[in-house]
Amino acid sequence: MKKLLLLYVVLIATLLGYLYMAFVRDDSGGLMSETTGLQGETDEKYVMVNFLAGIDYWKNVLKGFEDAAGALGVSVEYRGSMQYDVQEEVMVLEQVIARKPAGIAVSAIDSEALNAAIDKAVEAGIPVVMFDSDAPGSKAYSFLGTNNYNAGVTAARKMAELAGEAGKVVVITLPNQLNHQERTQGFEDTLRREFPAMELVSIEDGKGDQLVSERKASDMLEQYPDLKGIFVTEANGGVGAGNAVLREGKVGQVNIISFDTDKGTLDMVKSGTIAATLAQGTWNMGYWSLMHLFHLRHELTVPMSDWRSSGVPPLPEYVDTGITVVTPANVDYFYAK
Amino acid sequence: MIFRTVQKWFQLNNWTIRYKLIFHFLLVSILPSLCLGLLTAWTVSGVIEKQVNEQTMQLIGNVNKSLNSYAGNIQNISYFISMNPDVQLFLERGHEAFEETEDQYRMSRFLQGFTTLYSEIAGILVVGADGQYFSNEMYARTSRSLTEDEWYKEAVRAKGIFQIIGHPANRNVTTHTHYKESEVVSVVRAILDPDTQQAKGVVLIDLKLRAIAETVRDVRLGKTGYLMVVSEEGERIYAPRNAALFDIPASILAGPSAGTFQAEAGGTELQMIYQRSPFTNWTTIGVFDVRDSAQEIRDINLYLVVFVFVVCMLGIAASYYLSHSISRPITQLSSHMRKIEEGNMNLRIPGERQDEVGLLGRSFNAMLQQIGRLLSQVREEQRLKREAELRSLQAHIQPHFLYNTLDTIQWLARKDGAKEAAEMVEALSKLFRIGLSKGQETIPLADELEHIRSYLKIQKTRYKDKLNYEIEAGAIRGDTLVLKLILQPVVENAIYHGIKERRGPGHIAIRVSERDGVLEFTVEDDGVGMSEERLAALRGTLESPMASGGETGAGGGLPVSPAASAGSSYGLRNVQERIRLTFGESYGISVESKEKQGTRVTIRHPIIDEKGLKAYGTHVESFDSR
Repeated sequence: MKKLLLLYVVLIATLLGYLYMAFVRDDSGGLMSETTGLQGETDEKYVMVNFLAGIDYWKNVLKGFEDAAGALGVSVEYRGSMQYDVQEEVMVLEQVIARKPAGIAVSAIDSEALNAAIDKAVEAGIPVVMFDSDAPGSKAYSFLGTNNYNAGVTAARKMAELAGEAGKVVVITLPNQLNHQERTQGFEDTLRREFPAMELVSIEDGKGDQLVSERKASDMLEQYPDLKGIFVTEANGGVGAGNAVLREGKVGQVNIISFDTDKGTLDMVKSGTIAATLAQGTWNMGYWSLMHLFHLRHELTVPMSDWRSSGVPPLPEYVDTGITVVTPANVDYFYAK
Repeated sequence: MIFRTVQKWFQLNNWTIRYKLIFHFLLVSILPSLCLGLLTAWTVSGVIEKQVNEQTMQLIGNVNKSLNSYAGNIQNISYFISMNPDVQLFLERGHEAFEETEDQYRMSRFLQGFTTLYSEIAGILVVGADGQYFSNEMYARTSRSLTEDEWYKEAVRAKGIFQIIGHPANRNVTTHTHYKESEVVSVVRAILDPDTQQAKGVVLIDLKLRAIAETVRDVRLGKTGYLMVVSEEGERIYAPRNAALFDIPASILAGPSAGTFQAEAGGTELQMIYQRSPFTNWTTIGVFDVRDSAQEIRDINLYLVVFVFVVCMLGIAASYYLSHSISRPITQLSSHMRKIEEGNMNLRIPGERQDEVGLLGRSFNAMLQQIGRLLSQVREEQRLKREAELRSLQAHIQPHFLYNTLDTIQWLARKDGAKEAAEMVEALSKLFRIGLSKGQETIPLADELEHIRSYLKIQKTRYKDKLNYEIEAGAIRGDTLVLKLILQPVVENAIYHGIKERRGPGHIAIRVSERDGVLEFTVEDDGVGMSEERLAALRGTLESPMASGGETGAGGGLPVSPAASAGSSYGLRNVQERIRLTFGESYGISVESKEKQGTRVTIRHPIIDEKGLKAYGTHVESFDSR
């Protein structure tokens, strides 16, 4: 009997040894071992949805988004409405939601029109963040973008500096878009508060289109021959306004303050047609949007044990991606190398 | 020498059944399962290896298809662009073609459409033969004409055929959205004038590497390796971050479009499965550790090993148990037999088994039973033989005929007035009558005494004054049953060997008394007695009346005169036998004698009545337990 027991012990020990070997080897097996932590899967697809999908402005945001995806090991998709069309963006967003992505970063063409779709996505368990243009009434987890009001304030102060604190100015903007509204508001409020000698004579709708803005600018120049400055709240409009001013030959007289740093705008800043432009932290918008979405998807942010019920937000609800004033002095930095 | 011992060790027939069985069971259970396990493992791993390789090849093929489709898309786009009238105008006349901003705007929007719909395009650049270029995203770094760039020249060389440049390097172009050169793959196509076949310009499209990376990374290979993509020249288009660095043999890039090869990198042997796409001329390579096997093979090996182990353990247990269950009854049987062999004939093999061992045991028991029966049969036969002998002896002693004749003689003698003769015949007649006693074994004490009285009367007539006797019955009841004719042989001996041999008259005293609940007859004479040797011999004979033999009477090997011993012992022996046969060892004759003084013979006889006699039956055991 003892001999039998001994034999059994030996056999079982050998089996356990083999099993151990098999599983230990298993763990260290393979040429690529998966790392945990901030690493996702390639089949996680995060989608960026915006409007005027083709314009240059989004290219940097998309680059930031893509860079974050590369760092995290996930994949991204880019969708948006081609036109400046609310219905189109709503439709695109709904199509995206139907494909059940890992997360959606949205820039809202209208501060309320997308709320229903966004809420539907959030309720279906898809994390949603806003960037650049917020939809505050929606259930999106955070908004990453420029402090547009401050941008407007900065623009107003720069305009005052350029115009000598007196004169007529107009604003060409997108009146229905929240971020533009805020910029306009900031601009307007600052002028009223700090530079009473300056008069904001008109707020025009440039439709985000270069030609439309150009026409509108021309009209303004006609209507107000002593116009001192045009504040354009987005880049295409800025180029359009610049073209109008060039055509009228009023480059020195009318100070254009534009937004963003696409090549056309930078060239105009360099050449002096545009006096200054406000650069937004577009790359950061894209990069940190994906970071937020990733953290939400992988439930890495746990501020407290049951944050869903308590109403404590899992992420910073507002990320200010910053504003930089670009003038002919520092414009060279903004060119690609 | 060693060979011999080993050989001896291997003599299967000399092993105990237990070890034989264990050995055979182990052989039968473990050997086949081991062989089965090995065979299965070998076959299955071969099959799976082949399948996994095929699957990997297929996956790589799919990756290639995806890459082809991307490349095909871009190629189509390049055609699309070249066919656009605005682009054609631009190539012809450069920026002067744009009279209105609307024209430029339109071309810009046209190109923008592609980058929006195909987000894997990082940028599009259209360069005219005069060096003027148009792009939404890209522009020249320096003032040097873009027509001098390597990629432009390559496009022109390709004469309108789509060319994949790979990672752009040292080009005069930069992308506004900061796409690094390692993050894009450039493709170019020259736009030819259909008449002159000269290049009017070149379309350059930058493809985001991320699109390729996502396609390649998404693949789950059967084995735990990774995929990478290399261009025609061996330049790595895409490889995962922690990929090993190794040289790709040029023969692979030039040779057949699919296959496997091995390389060594960082100490590990790597196996590659590759497939080249003829369209893009890129080779997709799957890189694996040579030692790696598919998870399925590892799983199967694990299962097989566990299976063999379990079979081993079960087999060992089963063979021990089974062999035990077979060998134990056999061992028990043999040990029982040994015990019985050693002499304990009363043991039987226990158990109620129904198998062969049980049968053996039962047969053995039956045999033992039979032996016992035969032994007792023999004993019984011997006893019967003895009894028959005894009976025939007794029959010899008292024939009816003689008795009747004596009666007639007595009557005649009385008639003739021969009184003494008549009395002697009467005595003899009584002697015979009582001796016959109608065939009964036991008679009343009164009859036995009458018998001996008759005998002594006859002898007295012959010996006259030489013989004197007295008979004393004491208080014993006359109807006490005694075995018949036990006194006569003793008294006969006393007369012939005691009284007759001495000088002068002799005296025989016969007494009957009760001592310790037992009848005691004493026959004492004052004859010549016996020598010590004779006494000892006699006593020896009396102790084993059977062993001394029947008629021959000579037994024990002691030097005794045959005639004397024959005569004296025979009668006493007979009485002793009869008493002991009937009543047991504790009764019988004992002798005391002193030479020249006399002899005393004592007979111990139980006090019995009718019922008691029945209880005695026959005591056969006393015969053979000596």
